[in-house]
Amino acid sequence: MGGIVLIVLAVFAARRVWLGYPATGAEFAVLAPREEAFLQAAAEALFPPHADLPVSGGQADLPGYADRYLAVLPRRQRTLIRALFALFEHATLLWPGKGRGGFKRFSALSPEQRLGVLRDWQSSSLALRRLCLTALKAILILGYVGHPESLAALELAPWKIDSPRVEADFLYPPIGGHRDQISRVGEPLETAPTAPPLVPGLDQEAP
Amino acid sequence: MSSEARQDGEVRVFSDYTRDFEEDADVVVVGSGPSGSVVAYELAKAGHKVVLIEEGPPFTPQEFRADGNISMARTMREGGLRSTTGTFMPILQAICLGGGSLINSAMCVRPPAFIFDEWSTRYELDHTTRADLDPHYDAVSEFLGIAPTPEDVQGPRNLLFRQGCEALGIASEPVDRNVRGCRGSGECFSGCRARAKQSMDISYIPEAMKFGARVLTSLQVQGVLGEGRRVRGVEGRVVEPFSGRTSHAFRVRARWVVLAAGCMATPVLLQKSGNLANASGQVGQNLQFHPGSAVAGVFPESIDPIFGGTQSYQSLAFLEEGFKLETMWSAPAALAVRMPGVGAELVHRFGELPRTAIWDAIASTHRSLGTVKARFRSLNPVIRWTLHPEDVKVMLRSIHVLAQIFFAAGAEKIMPGVGGLPEEMHSREEAEVLRDYAIRPADLVTASSHVFCTTRMHGDPAQGVVDEEGRCHGYDNLYIADTGIFPRCPSVNPMLTVMALAHRQAQSLAERV
Ligand SMILES: Cc1cc2nc3c(=O)[nH]c(=O)nc-3n(C[C@H](O)[C@H](O)[C@H](O)COP(=O)(O)OP(=O)(O)OC[C@H]3O[C@@H](n4cnc5c(N)ncnc54)[C@H](O)[C@@H]3O)c2cc1C
Ligand code: SF4
Repeated sequence: MGGIVLIVLAVFAARRVWLGYPATGAEFAVLAPREEAFLQAAAEALFPPHADLPVSGGQADLPGYADRYLAVLPRRQRTLIRALFALFEHATLLWPGKGRGGFKRFSALSPEQRLGVLRDWQSSSLALRRLCLTALKAILILGYVGHPESLAALELAPWKIDSPRVEADFLYPPIGGHRDQISRVGEPLETAPTAPPLVPGLDQEAP
Repeated sequence: MSSEARQDGEVRVFSDYTRDFEEDADVVVVGSGPSGSVVAYELAKAGHKVVLIEEGPPFTPQEFRADGNISMARTMREGGLRSTTGTFMPILQAICLGGGSLINSAMCVRPPAFIFDEWSTRYELDHTTRADLDPHYDAVSEFLGIAPTPEDVQGPRNLLFRQGCEALGIASEPVDRNVRGCRGSGECFSGCRARAKQSMDISYIPEAMKFGARVLTSLQVQGVLGEGRRVRGVEGRVVEPFSGRTSHAFRVRARWVVLAAGCMATPVLLQKSGNLANASGQVGQNLQFHPGSAVAGVFPESIDPIFGGTQSYQSLAFLEEGFKLETMWSAPAALAVRMPGVGAELVHRFGELPRTAIWDAIASTHRSLGTVKARFRSLNPVIRWTLHPEDVKVMLRSIHVLAQIFFAAGAEKIMPGVGGLPEEMHSREEAEVLRDYAIRPADLVTASSHVFCTTRMHGDPAQGVVDEEGRCHGYDNLYIADTGIFPRCPSVNPMLTVMALAHRQAQSLAERV
């Protein structure tokens, strides 16, 4: 009897965790389809279309952004972040969305249910839950607000800066590269850089 | 191992290491942050054969990344995700040539005399008064061209802080920085593309190389070699940038060893080297931070917050109460992270970013202590630390003062970021709730990049790890130079002080070597 219960539970867990995620065709270095689905669903809920910004969370390719971020993280931190995604995706078993089907995994909830779930995390009396939401928000906000179109709309596009070459730039090769990759063009600055202060608007990159 | 004959005055990078190797030097310095770089330069200048070892790679502007997450993952330990346990707090620590100086905001602040008076009396340090250190501060300041941030690169978000302080009669001042030709890009935290910030990799280190110092990057020191009262050098492995994968072994034999690997790494190295220099039992103990808390204020009109020195205005008026106030900017998306809410309200707040300034406070949390312990088969430490309830009150008081300054400067609302209180406050009166709020540590979102005391200086060998010159008690030739030697947190930004202490240490070492 116990064995049957275990098998049923195992099948349920496997279905819940791995199966039924649509293949979007996107290619990632790190992300699995289930993580892509979760991130897309979270992005849509966190950043709905809004007059203040030209792209919504759903349009900003945040799974792609998260994948690029995970790819540069050390293994331990990468695993922790992926565990955070899994936690949000399945914590609906413990803290379900409101209404019918609230126990489904996060990415399968309706947009309103997802927003409600995130609000619950935000106002939780458990500091750890609030902290988890902050961590998730931190990853996605950096991708969303840092999206070139968001930054341009907020007049916060990066500066155009032509870096002057100082003595040290003739010493250090690109990271991972060889000494012969150091550009020898030009002479190093002999005095302090003298370029004028930057001017907002004028010296910022075009979108 | 083969002995590779190397020319003096060179830098080596990951691709240069093709096999195990050994080196000899008069002095080996571990860690190229502000402390290690000053020691390496001064000793090389004095004619000694110096090897400076750094685990991280050198960065040039092409390697800087504007994205906050990706920049931190590349330049900081544990991908920028290091944190304390006990009271959770993210802590930022660099892994790159130049250490913290590459990605810090270049604030150079001398602590007032009363800080050193406390150091002297509490920790039996007779020669570490402000007057004792002033010549060393002067030497470093002159070398790096440290000067107050000029008005033309302050930008509105820094000047509004001054305006708010003036309206309330609070003393404030432009920040002195190790910067030459700042353009006000506000991007110090991801690396200065304008090449204005005088981080160690473009200032002390190239100069040290001119005096023959060998700079070996992408080497992770894993142990200090020694027995009895003497150490003989260090050993470790080549480490690949970013992945952290280790390969060839190396050993540097030296007559003198200076550990400048930072307040977290140095105690771990000592612990991993057979609990070296720990007769006092103080290695890895007494950990202190300057936890920071930030308040966002929204002004009625755009303030072009993207323009201006990253952290260019400050107030030292509350140091005796236990906190220091500063302006701040970083990658806009990284600042947006502190916006409360989810869904439409959150996106609406992003729309306010062009009108938003962020000001922060760092607190001298002397009562909040922790420990650093070596982790099994890793040099990343376990960091335990607990924020003391009395220190939380000091932090709340700093948030209250920042709120007042914002409203005095004309902000229409603030976001204080205190759990359990309204996310937004719209007037000074509303912000009065901050005055008496029964705050708990978990109510604060805090972070720190200033770490201290894990190998503290103490006149009494039974109570500290190093003496006033940074020499480990009980050792002839083992020194520590990083912020771990501070006996107490210095209440102001530590870089200039650790460099002044390193300058003093190098001078006395130069005579002995
Ligand atoms: C984001 C940020 C902003 C800051 N802003 C300011 C500011 O504006 N003003 C200010 O005064 N302070 C600031 N600080 C703090 C300041 O940068 C540090 O206090 C300072 O860098 C400490 O110098 P250090 O030499 O003790 O150690 P670090 O700068 O930490 O240098 C230690 C070096 O040792 C290397 N290392 C560690 N372990 C090993 C090993 N096993 N083998 C080889 N190498 C190793 C590290 O990679 C690192 O490069 C800031 C810090 C950060 C992170
Ligand atoms: S504010 Fe910009 S230009 Fe000035 S030192 Fe910092 S990064 Fe360089």
